[in-house]
Amino acid sequence: MSTVTTEPAQARRIELILRQIDSLPTLPAIATKLLTLTASDDTNAREVIELVSSDQTLTAKVLSMCRRADRGVRDNTMTIDKAVVLLGFNAIRNAALSIKVFELFDNPDTGSQNVASGKFGDDGVIHANYKFDRENFWRHSLAVGIAAELIAAAHPNLSDLPAAEAFVCGLMHDVGKIALDYVLPKSYSRVIELAELNQSNISVFERKVMGIDHHTAGKRLSEQWLLPYWIQDCIWLHGSDYETLPQLGHRRIIGLVTLADLLVRLNHIGYSGNFVFRHDIDNMALELGLIPKVVHKITRQLHEELQQRSEVLGLNDQPSRELFLQSIQQANVALGQLNSALERRTNTAARQSRVLETVSTFHKQATPGRTVQDVLDAVVKSVSSVLGTGYCAMLYQPGDITAGDDMVWLVSQYNDQGGLIRTEFVEPPSYSPDLANLSGDQTLSMSLMSVLPWIADHLIESEDPRKLHLLPLNGGWGTVAVMVHDRVSLPPPNQMEALTFSWGSAIAAAAQHEGVRRLGEDLAQANRALADVNRALAETQEKLTQTQSLARLGEMAGGAAHEMNNPLAVISGRAQLLTRTLSPGSKEQVASQTIVDQSHRLSDFISAMRMFASPPVAKRRSTDLAVMLDAVVKNVKSSLRAPESRTPISLQFKTGLSPVVIDPDQIGQAVTELIINAIQASPKTAVHVTAQIDPLKSNLIVQVTDDGKGMDEYTHSHALDPFFSAKPAGRQMGMGLTRVQHFAAAHNGKIDLRSSPKTGTVATLTIPLDSAG
Amino acid sequence: MPSPEDASKFDSKQVFTTGEAAEICKLSQQTIIRCFDTGRLQGFRVPGSRFRRIPREGLLRFMRENGIPFDRLDGGKRRVLVVDDDQEIIDLFVDVFSRDNRLDVKTALTGYDAGVITEQFKPDLMILDYMLPDINGNVVCKTVRENSELRGMMIIIVSGVVNQDEIEGLLEAGADEFIKKPFNIDQLLKRVHAMLEL
Repeated sequence: MSTVTTEPAQARRIELILRQIDSLPTLPAIATKLLTLTASDDTNAREVIELVSSDQTLTAKVLSMCRRADRGVRDNTMTIDKAVVLLGFNAIRNAALSIKVFELFDNPDTGSQNVASGKFGDDGVIHANYKFDRENFWRHSLAVGIAAELIAAAHPNLSDLPAAEAFVCGLMHDVGKIALDYVLPKSYSRVIELAELNQSNISVFERKVMGIDHHTAGKRLSEQWLLPYWIQDCIWLHGSDYETLPQLGHRRIIGLVTLADLLVRLNHIGYSGNFVFRHDIDNMALELGLIPKVVHKITRQLHEELQQRSEVLGLNDQPSRELFLQSIQQANVALGQLNSALERRTNTAARQSRVLETVSTFHKQATPGRTVQDVLDAVVKSVSSVLGTGYCAMLYQPGDITAGDDMVWLVSQYNDQGGLIRTEFVEPPSYSPDLANLSGDQTLSMSLMSVLPWIADHLIESEDPRKLHLLPLNGGWGTVAVMVHDRVSLPPPNQMEALTFSWGSAIAAAAQHEGVRRLGEDLAQANRALADVNRALAETQEKLTQTQSLARLGEMAGGAAHEMNNPLAVISGRAQLLTRTLSPGSKEQVASQTIVDQSHRLSDFISAMRMFASPPVAKRRSTDLAVMLDAVVKNVKSSLRAPESRTPISLQFKTGLSPVVIDPDQIGQAVTELIINAIQASPKTAVHVTAQIDPLKSNLIVQVTDDGKGMDEYTHSHALDPFFSAKPAGRQMGMGLTRVQHFAAAHNGKIDLRSSPKTGTVATLTIPLDSAG
Repeated sequence: MPSPEDASKFDSKQVFTTGEAAEICKLSQQTIIRCFDTGRLQGFRVPGSRFRRIPREGLLRFMRENGIPFDRLDGGKRRVLVVDDDQEIIDLFVDVFSRDNRLDVKTALTGYDAGVITEQFKPDLMILDYMLPDINGNVVCKTVRENSELRGMMIIIVSGVVNQDEIEGLLEAGADEFIKKPFNIDQLLKRVHAMLEL
């Protein structure tokens, strides 16, 4: 028997998270209703008043909020009616909405712990210190809402930024975080811990740990809640760079939420989990067409406003449990009312034959946009109504969970009333047929014969597996699911065909829709991940670009070296021959010799450039440092001409210089370059070269010190750049220190320069001795 | 000084009699025969007779080992073959080497030509460009070293691209020296003279 996967693949895990999100409590009907009402004009005021008035707790809270929000309203006997007149229903709507959303997630114990600790194999360690701080999360959300509202209100000329909408968007923008925490609290603690330890953006770790970030989770939840599309998009797309946002009518409001979020985080209000401040308020404001000064000004109002509103929401002191229960009850009542209305309509519509009625009911429930599981559940409900009560199970093979994965079946089992008992992803035995390839014409039991005992093993909820029948559901291009049931009598074949086809098509449509939806979300998520990567890249962009262009230059130089050195050999050779024929010391002979020297200089330069393409490799061998450095100093002295050759060079060894394992040629050349640089700085007294091995015997440290003219800040910051020279352009090729860097890097070492004008320069070459480089 | 005609009569000879060897080495024929018989001068006897014959290679080695001047053989000239696909480079080398009348210079533009010329010219030194259009320097080195007739030939590789690993590979393949383009002519000549024992 194949085992139920305890450690699901990432994709399957995401699928399960999404399913959990889809099963989160729905937004109270009042809130949903309030949201749809705002979209239209004041003619809905009556309805808002009625809705809010129908909820006692809500009324009390809304009125309290309004009183505090507007100092002008001090009438304790005020009603919702008056409040709407005084404040407009958008204000009332916002107040009601924040209260409802808060209530929904306010109880910290509502998270489904069993999912986190059991099925998903969390590490079991409780990260107590990194628990998701809901109170501060809500403070953050509320503050973002208020900030967005205030900014929008301060720009009344921008018609696409209505203050009331801005508030809702800001309030809801991070709802995905609370959804993730709700579904997988332990995993989310880990995410929070990682984000805090790394002082990084929380969504990076959400993707890493959970495979899905709060943007995507929030989008799912907002779809589930039937929130207006502009709120959905704010939840989904906030935090994105403004220029990357699609050209939507509500594009600016998404940008505004991003701005408000940054503003609130900069003011350290509440907890958001994001520690990255990559935007600049002024630039963002300008990008959005806002006035930076105005944006800054609202910061002052922000704290006061937040203080007032959070008191009402009980953010400063825990709301009483009673109050909470009461509001849940209220919400349930409202939901019940809505549901019964729906049912009534359904009943009046269904007057056809029993089969048609079933199909019609089924289609009402299986509205497009639902998940496959929802549709499977609906099919079973439908089955129960047409075939009578009894055991039922569905085998469904997800088509695209993860390409290349082993085959996985989703096995859902239902009780006699059609209620879902359990659902799980199961790996069928290797000899199982691919469900998708089963032809509807074939006798299904023939194909599934070999798997039957295995299926029976899995259908532990059925009382007697021997009584089970298989019914394929066709979705136009093959079998999309197989139903397992224990009914003996079925409707006539033609009706049955209509039914199975109807069910099958719905499942196929849901599967397709889900695929498309997942694809879109995956794309968006990948896009965000990409944006993060881009940002990380951008931080090192300058360096990278430089390295890349240098490497390219090096490659070119490599290719060109052969082509260029041939003509250079001819130029140099001919000039050498010419030099011999000219009278010694004549102007012509000097000029000819210059040609020789310059062609060799050019060739050296090409060799230096080639180092970028193929950096030198250190050939370490045991080396007597004293002998090597003596030779280096002698060589330098002999290569210099007056007046530079007059500079004294002192060589000093610190005690205990045993043979070291280095590449003597490379380190010798590196020290040579450093000494020449020191001499060219025109030292007042001398150039000192010291060599020592640090006490741990892990590093060789060579210092070259001069008391010459030193470097100013600009020169110092560019000293290691290739081609840079402090001398007038064209005088010196400025590759010396670059070569030193290459040689140091070949040993995994480094070169440091300390310098100040007039006092001189200390160049420190550090070469690790225990490294394999 | 031998007249040019005297020198040239031995130019193309590959095998010498003891008398000729004595003339070239300015030794008595008796001495040559003694050295031949003791094995210090490598040679063979003509099959079916007792005549001693000395191949050019053996004579050269004998002269070199005993410090006998070469001037009676090939007019004392050392043969240098320059192989490069760049005519300008070839011209430069020819110009440099032809100023030294102890050197006889031939040139080749491809590895194939170099092979053909080497067979008959039997150079003492080959100046070899690493990157030839038809063949790489290391292959040429290997081929030369596998041929016992060319054992004494020296090879200097010249290249515009210096890669330490490649140089080591070339030296392993049998090259004697590596010189980077552009080069210092005086240093090059110094090396060439040293290698040819001039």
